[in-house]
Amino acid sequence: MAAPTVILDNGAYHVKIGLASDKDPRHIPNCISKSKSERRKQFIGNQIEDCRDLSALYYMLPFQKGYLVNWDVQRQVWDYMFGKELLGLECPDTTAVVTEPYFNFSSIQEAMNEIFFEEYQFKALLRINAGTLSAHKRKSENPEHRCCLIVDSGYSFTHIAPYYNSQKVAEAIFRVNVGGKLLTNHLKEIISYRQLHVMDETYVMNQVKEDVCYVSSQFYKDMEIAKLKGKENTVCREYVLPDFHTVKRGFVKEDGSKQKPNEQIVRMNNERFAVPEILFHPSDISIQEKGISEAIVHSISATPKEMHPHLYRNIVLTGGNCAFPGVKERVEKDVRSLAPVEYDVQVTLPPNPVTYAWEGGKTMTESKEFSKLTVSKKQYEEEGQNICFDKFDV
Amino acid sequence: MVTCPLSTSYTHCVDLDRVVCGWYWCEIMKMPAKEQTRESGRQKELAQRRVLDSFTRAKRLRRQLEALEQDNFQEDPHANLVLLKKKLPQFDSNEDTPTTKKRKKRGDHFKQRFRKTFHMLVEEEQLSMNEPPNYLTCCMPHSPAPQRKFCAVCGFPSNYTCVACGARYCCTKCLGTHLDTRCLKWTA
Ligand SMILES: [Zn+2]
Ligand SMILES: [Zn+2]
Repeated sequence: MAAPTVILDNGAYHVKIGLASDKDPRHIPNCISKSKSERRKQFIGNQIEDCRDLSALYYMLPFQKGYLVNWDVQRQVWDYMFGKELLGLECPDTTAVVTEPYFNFSSIQEAMNEIFFEEYQFKALLRINAGTLSAHKRKSENPEHRCCLIVDSGYSFTHIAPYYNSQKVAEAIFRVNVGGKLLTNHLKEIISYRQLHVMDETYVMNQVKEDVCYVSSQFYKDMEIAKLKGKENTVCREYVLPDFHTVKRGFVKEDGSKQKPNEQIVRMNNERFAVPEILFHPSDISIQEKGISEAIVHSISATPKEMHPHLYRNIVLTGGNCAFPGVKERVEKDVRSLAPVEYDVQVTLPPNPVTYAWEGGKTMTESKEFSKLTVSKKQYEEEGQNICFDKFDV
Repeated sequence: MVTCPLSTSYTHCVDLDRVVCGWYWCEIMKMPAKEQTRESGRQKELAQRRVLDSFTRAKRLRRQLEALEQDNFQEDPHANLVLLKKKLPQFDSNEDTPTTKKRKKRGDHFKQRFRKTFHMLVEEEQLSMNEPPNYLTCCMPHSPAPQRKFCAVCGFPSNYTCVACGARYCCTKCLGTHLDTRCLKWTA
């Protein structure tokens, strides 16, 4: 039997982890959380599922601004995931594929090599950008496309990365400093100011965001609709917040149903689409940067001209923020209006934009080239950090 | 390199012809301070009392953007427990959780070499002679599209600017709310 390979898409919000032989990865929150109701316990990763009261959860996160800085927390999450409770890996017999953000700092890269080879003692390692795995997946599905443009919009930021023959065009990769965390925090802020204090309710408000927010393709029209009263306002939703006693999970209130006593309701009106809009117009909250659609055009224009038509034709949306309803239509509409008319614009949203990179990792391990991409523990012991810096391009 | 007058460290910067700290100081300073067309009586009265200068406005905006990066807004619910733990001799590490001896050693070793804040990592990147592209060079420039204006109170498109602090508002009702709640109260 072949040695097992574990694929670890190490996101700042969720880790997507599973063996290459698994069909789908598991989603594990990449954090340690503390609940005010359970004073003696810390919840690592998905242990939080056992916690009944998810109000005012306190988070300890390994990532800051998208880069791994809190190693103590990260290693507790890894220990837990690799350990018996979850995957039960025999690290010395296992190859690991681990994702890192674009332009990862060299000090973090060094630490990664050291931890994976010296602490966990993995048999072999491949460190790679999640977007590269996505590009690989796309190529395997549509081999006729030479180029693809990966949009990876995650918790901390959004990257736009063009690929040619599954190789990234590094000088044309750009970062938009808007991610899911900023959106959730902004939603908390405006709801706290306009309606109800929810600044401590990151977990709950993130769920509200995922349940009712969407990307509008007719922004000002939706603003007009949101101003209407009663039934004419088709945008507005009343959302019942969980109290973790009678309501375990928040939900959208059905039209016309009466408010029950003690029910806490948040009225989601223009917030539904104005919050995700920040991805497309960071300047709406005074972040003076181009938004995703403009960034796509900006990135493509930084590649050699021959690639332009191919990149416009193969834009792939990945990451948690691409799960908002309407993202694909909006990107298509915007890019179409910004791109030169002679180019075809095609945008693809994979069935699961969150696990797409992980699936790409799975595909990659099945290719003949895979073992050439990894560094073995033996090589690391002989040649040290250098061989990792030569081989891994993150 | 020019250092942002509001912060001594960059979070990201360098876009060919300009240097921008993470909190857009330079950008803000370029913005015209007054754009409003009409003023209400209440605003005029207020404007005579006090108008925030652009430096304070920039500082305030920076604080708002920083808040959007925060992981928690409440206190650590176990803060007192950690203190208790530290008093016990068997848990004399500065880790948050009691761990095995072996792990602790490993952790300490790690702390010295790799424990760096995000700012330290960015500074290292600036000092290193790493060829671009890198973290610092891959940031997005300004959008050429004009900034859109939304009411700071209700979130709908707005036509007016508060004279005192520069916030946007859409109607007298929202202006009233703004003046009663946020206008100059954040500036202490
Ligand atoms: Zn208003
Ligand atoms: Zn004001």
